[in-house]
Amino acid sequence: MKQAKAAAKSATDTKSNPKQNLEVDTTQATVGNRFCENPKMSMRDVNVFYGDKQAIYDVSVDIAKNEVIAMIGPSGCGKSTFLRSLNRMNDTVDGCKVEGEVLLDGHNIYQQNLDVVELRARVGMVFQKPNPFPKSIFENIAYGPKIHGLADSRVDLDEIVEGSLKKAGLWEEVKERLHQPGTGLSGGQQQRLCIARAIAVSPEVILMDEPCSALDPIATARIEELIEELSQNFTIAIVTHSMQQAARVSHRTAYFHLGKLIEVNPTEQVFTMPEHQLTEAYITGRFG
Amino acid sequence: MSNSTDNLQKIKSSLKRRSRSESRFRWYGRVAIIIGLAAVLALFVDIISKGHGAFKATYIQVDIHYDGDRLGVTSSADKSQLMQANWDALVKSGLREKFSDVSGRRDKRQLYKLVSNGTGFDLKEHLVANPLLLGETESQWLLADDDIDTYYKSWLDGEPYDARLTKKQIQWIDQLHQQGDIRLQLNTNLLTRGDSREPEQAGIYGAVMGSLLTLLLTLMLSFPIGVAAAIYLEEFATKNKFTDFIEVNINNLAAVPSIIFGLLGLAVFINFFHVPRSVPIMGGLVLTLMTLPTIIITSRAAIKSVPPSIREAALGMGASRYQVVLHHVLPLALPGMLTGAIIGMAQALGETAPLLMIGMVAFIVDIPQGFTDPATVLPVQIFLWADSPERAFIEKTSAAIMVLLSFLLIMNISAVWLRKRLERRW
Amino acid sequence: MPKMSFENHIMTQFDEELEEIRTQLMEMGGKVEQQLKNAIQAVIKADSRLAEEVIKEERLVDEMEVDIDEACILIIARRQPAASDLRFVMMVTKAINDLERIGDEARKIANHAVILSEQDGLSQGYKEVRHLGDSVSGMLANALDAFARFDVEAAMRTLEEDAQVDLDYKSALRELVTYMMEDPRSISRAINILWVVRSLERIGDHAKNLCEQIVYVVKGKDIRHQ
Repeated sequence: MKQAKAAAKSATDTKSNPKQNLEVDTTQATVGNRFCENPKMSMRDVNVFYGDKQAIYDVSVDIAKNEVIAMIGPSGCGKSTFLRSLNRMNDTVDGCKVEGEVLLDGHNIYQQNLDVVELRARVGMVFQKPNPFPKSIFENIAYGPKIHGLADSRVDLDEIVEGSLKKAGLWEEVKERLHQPGTGLSGGQQQRLCIARAIAVSPEVILMDEPCSALDPIATARIEELIEELSQNFTIAIVTHSMQQAARVSHRTAYFHLGKLIEVNPTEQVFTMPEHQLTEAYITGRFG
Repeated sequence: MSNSTDNLQKIKSSLKRRSRSESRFRWYGRVAIIIGLAAVLALFVDIISKGHGAFKATYIQVDIHYDGDRLGVTSSADKSQLMQANWDALVKSGLREKFSDVSGRRDKRQLYKLVSNGTGFDLKEHLVANPLLLGETESQWLLADDDIDTYYKSWLDGEPYDARLTKKQIQWIDQLHQQGDIRLQLNTNLLTRGDSREPEQAGIYGAVMGSLLTLLLTLMLSFPIGVAAAIYLEEFATKNKFTDFIEVNINNLAAVPSIIFGLLGLAVFINFFHVPRSVPIMGGLVLTLMTLPTIIITSRAAIKSVPPSIREAALGMGASRYQVVLHHVLPLALPGMLTGAIIGMAQALGETAPLLMIGMVAFIVDIPQGFTDPATVLPVQIFLWADSPERAFIEKTSAAIMVLLSFLLIMNISAVWLRKRLERRW
Repeated sequence: MPKMSFENHIMTQFDEELEEIRTQLMEMGGKVEQQLKNAIQAVIKADSRLAEEVIKEERLVDEMEVDIDEACILIIARRQPAASDLRFVMMVTKAINDLERIGDEARKIANHAVILSEQDGLSQGYKEVRHLGDSVSGMLANALDAFARFDVEAAMRTLEEDAQVDLDYKSALRELVTYMMEDPRSISRAINILWVVRSLERIGDHAKNLCEQIVYVVKGKDIRHQ
């Protein structure tokens, strides 16, 4: 972030142009349409700390059912941290503390007696780097249903595997080699395998942390197409570095800056007429 | 652009220098490897040239008359009769018959010294195995004494070593050689018997068994404890001052001289818990203490090398910490852990110092049958033999080293094989 | 409201490209403005040489349009502009279309000027042409000014002038009809002037479009057809 700021600063210094005023007061509340009726998830005054360092400041936002919400922002703005606090993946990080409320269907997921295992079955996650288990394709998909006891019989399990692969658009490509290692697939196929693995346990929300950053454009297009289809059945929150990707796949876009949620608005508005100057500066490529 | 052509010139002129220093660097490495290989080769040549003789022993053919009256044995099934019989008399009379011209007490005593003084027991066992022989005469190859063995082998090699023999004995051996009644035979004693004061009868089977029992116990104790500790430290323990302290201590323990562990074992297990000394249990406990740090460190390294993305993937699927470890981390880390364990075991196999402190240096003739029988281990046996004055022990020592090295080799090969076999790519 | 600026992009090349199409657009605007003024002059002064020149130069305006269009397409393809940059590039593609149309209308006026200069007759109708011509070229100048400064207020004011131009156009029509009724010999001449007046009115409409686009680019609000 320091870099980005320095870059923005040096740019303003060298130009005679009146200051673009990038050092806008970020203490002000988020602008745009943050809330919605009957949200699937809602965050209220979420603060995340790594030890003494605060990574997220007072973020409040809703995610509607079957919505695709994209989170964009410069590196280190906290968008990934925020995403990971939505299924408590941050728990595994030493010294990470989350304050505020994260409600899933109205229930706080940071409640004392909540089991993260159940939470993560309901809020699945797809990571930046495709990370299939070093097992067969079948075993990769079957893993979630197995540990959660979702399949009563082998036939059930076969059905779940086939269904998940079909939903992920991978069935035709791998049906002949279900018992070969998942790591033998191409990068894009691996990522779709990871998505199939995530949807095998029928989560309600899928979190995607830069799912295409390691993929080529064609594979990326396939994933984006998939996200579009998945949004009919799932609620999706996606963190992305590619503004074009956010523009293509999401219904709403949230812009993070230095750990603060600056703006949340319908994607078409954010990319044509952003409300906040920082958003404007970021998406027009003036820093980031 | 003159600048760029200038640069090109400079680059070209520096190329030669660079490639020279690179090839010089390569040669340093090659020379280092050659020196290392030469050292290993010299070691092997030395040991094998000294030790190969021990796998053969000298035998003398004598007609033995199993005279029941003289032995006082009427049935080969009667144990007490067998125990009381004078078996050496059989050997002596056989030798007297062979050299009928020998007379006088001194000469006779020297004649008897041609064969090993344990030959009588061999004859007893032979009779028990073949009861029909009672009363019959059979020509038999008897194990020669170690001095005869040493002389005969060196004589065959053309440099006779006769310092411990009398003229007459040398004459007899010549005579036997001409009659074809003396020869070298495979030495089964070496691999099937325990230790002995008599070099020709001494074997390393006892030490091998002692090593196996000790190592088995070491593995059974140190592998589960080490792996459990490593998993806890890597996967579950929160990082704080206390775990840092533990980590530093484990790393330091790995560097502690092994004799300290012997002292620790002496103080804690023998003096406090009163574990009997000189037994595989004791050796196993001490070697466990010694190998634990190694196993913990290698296991932690193996766990650390499991990509965090796999862990994240499993956690993200809703697997519990325990499931993540059991389903994903352990299978991926197991090859590394096993390699570490085998290397630790190899280290333990070659260890002497701590065992000296807990009495596993005793002279033990019997083959240990269990964890509580007194035993010694291979490296200690080598130490004992190397310390013995008899010349015949020199080749025995080298032979024992060869056995120890082949065990180490087998363990290391199995470590590589296990890793190849179990390793999965991700 | 964010100020329009092409600076501070991380890719300075992008700054330059945007600045470049802006400059080109201003040049094209200036050229079209000049064409319009010359055409009106040619009518009023019955200057057929000036009219011929206008007709000849119209080709230049067409070429400028093609150049700017290409530059815009390249920017879209290469930089994927967003937000204000996107609005600006889209606005430019539309604005050059309007300017090119104004150029066309100016040429039509010049065509009629040539015909008018060959017909002798009264100076009836020139008053209307001058009047309408002044207010339309004023509108165009104001629109281009507003564009140069991204001045929404000026654009809105200019926008409102179009209503007056429409009124003036209607009264000019009535005048011309009156002339034709009074003196049937002047009909062919009056029809030519009528075409000129009609072109001027169309130019006013295009100038209005320009102003609407300025408002869109700055405020992101579409005020067309309202």
